[in-house]
Amino acid sequence: MDGGLINPGRQEAERTAGARIEPGRSYGFFTDTTLCIGCKACEVACKEWNGLPADGDMRLSGHSYDNTGALGAETWRHVGFVERLDDRPGEMKPFQSNWIMFSDVCKHCDPAPCLEACPTGALFRTEFDTVVVQQDICNGCAYCVPACPFGVVEISKADGKAHKCTLCHDRMKGGMEPACAKACPTDSIQFGALEDLIPRAHERVEQLQEMGQDRAYLYGAPGTPGATHGIEKLNAFFLLTERPEVHGLPSEPVRPAPRAQPSLIAGLGTLAGLAAAALVFGLGGRR
Amino acid sequence: MNKMAPVPLPEPWQGETYHGRPTLKPAEFDWKVAAYIAVQGAAGAAQVLAGVSRIEDPGDRNGLASRARAFALAGSVIAPAILIGHLKTPKRWYNMLRIVRPQSPMSWGSWVITAFGAASFAAWGAERMGWGRIADFAQIPASLAGAGAATYTATLLSTTSNPLWAAAPGPLAAQFAASSMAGGAAAVALLQRKAGKIESAQRLERLSAAALGAEAAASMMLSEAQRRAGVSAPLKKGPPAVLHKAGAQALGIAAPLLFRALGRPALASAAILLGGALLRQAVLRAGDESAKRPLDSLGFAREVRR
Repeated sequence: MDGGLINPGRQEAERTAGARIEPGRSYGFFTDTTLCIGCKACEVACKEWNGLPADGDMRLSGHSYDNTGALGAETWRHVGFVERLDDRPGEMKPFQSNWIMFSDVCKHCDPAPCLEACPTGALFRTEFDTVVVQQDICNGCAYCVPACPFGVVEISKADGKAHKCTLCHDRMKGGMEPACAKACPTDSIQFGALEDLIPRAHERVEQLQEMGQDRAYLYGAPGTPGATHGIEKLNAFFLLTERPEVHGLPSEPVRPAPRAQPSLIAGLGTLAGLAAAALVFGLGGRR
Repeated sequence: MNKMAPVPLPEPWQGETYHGRPTLKPAEFDWKVAAYIAVQGAAGAAQVLAGVSRIEDPGDRNGLASRARAFALAGSVIAPAILIGHLKTPKRWYNMLRIVRPQSPMSWGSWVITAFGAASFAAWGAERMGWGRIADFAQIPASLAGAGAATYTATLLSTTSNPLWAAAPGPLAAQFAASSMAGGAAAVALLQRKAGKIESAQRLERLSAAALGAEAAASMMLSEAQRRAGVSAPLKKGPPAVLHKAGAQALGIAAPLLFRALGRPALASAAILLGGALLRQAVLRAGDESAKRPLDSLGFAREVRR
């Protein structure tokens, strides 16, 4: 069964990522910060493949080597740089120098708050268990923007539609691994089926701990920080050695949808109370 | 739900951020959304009052129900038009009615305001045609959808990751609902006053003052909850805070009560309507500030907060 794939034979992803892409399975990224060298090949490959324009005005941010700034409508991979020289002087942990690089991306949450917020169905869950915006349906209502717990989705000023990482849905259709993962020279970004990636990531944590890096932990894999309060898993998950906040990640993201119930009860209750007062005290009879 | 205990983090959070950069994106809902929430709220509440009036005064001798229906219908047409104007791709507004998504207040809210418009038209139209019983039958869905239209906008804001909006869903919804009722009663009071129905207008004005009291109480609960959640800063300092204090509180709550005491009820009603719009604008702008404050957002998404 080829499930509509363009290349049902031996896929390129099998050669480059050791992963066969089949509709109906869950795919994602395992991004290992201990392997990132901050080369930004992922950012470039993403921009190239997806035809995204350059960021901003080419000014230096002063935030270490990060002149990209943040994920957004036109930036779907973002390499963060944290220099820990002042706060840990003279100390150099094995496997992660005092310079921490971290390639951020849309987490393809499950369940995804952006998708749950979308009123048009433009945001949908694909056959690969990823979350994609259908550009021919989005009407730019922007409700997905505040819904995202990670500040990923953004409305493009150029076309008035929401944009974010698609996990290279088009490449996956063709049996190819996403551009960022393929370009990554150290395999800091690994693409694959989650059933393979998650055990591999747990093994990597154990391996690092045996080597003396006792701060390593997973963020976003089931049962780890990042997969909290109704968010079961992040299909793009991470291996970190610093607290999530150091990278601008919330330590316990929350699925917003359950807040509707207490809100509706209080709002409609208040309105009903005032309407009842109007009925009891009257609205004026004949005059 | 995730039942597994989270893996312990390397150390407690000491307030670190990533170069002080924001971790969330502001919604940037513009003034049109604030105007929409205020108009839709007042129109929805007016339709609730039309229903109350039909129960209380089945003959509609003072014309309250008729005028409230007309106002609600006007609001139910104007408000969505303003809302469509805020879309970044307005020509695709009809995609809002492409699906029904119970988890999204933006989705079911679109259906509520559609139903509100249709039922408001039916109630108003049937009454104009002299079909009183059909008008009263349409009044039931019109009032129910009106209650939804007057409230769901707060639910829409709370059901996001925005720290300020999400911190206290209940008090925010109570604040919006009370403000909607104050606005609806004030608008219908103005119409009744213009029509010479002074006693009816006075009773509506008293109701709008009571609604302002409820709004003030909800606002106090809201700001206490926001303070406890560590997200109240945007309403303490800066332009949204000024808008909130001068627009929502001084003009929207204090001034109408003062105008009432001075015997200027029409002025009080006008201040209530304007104050309601400024309250919504202040909440939207403060929310955008909240999203830009990494200590607020990272601190908020640290413990269970629904």
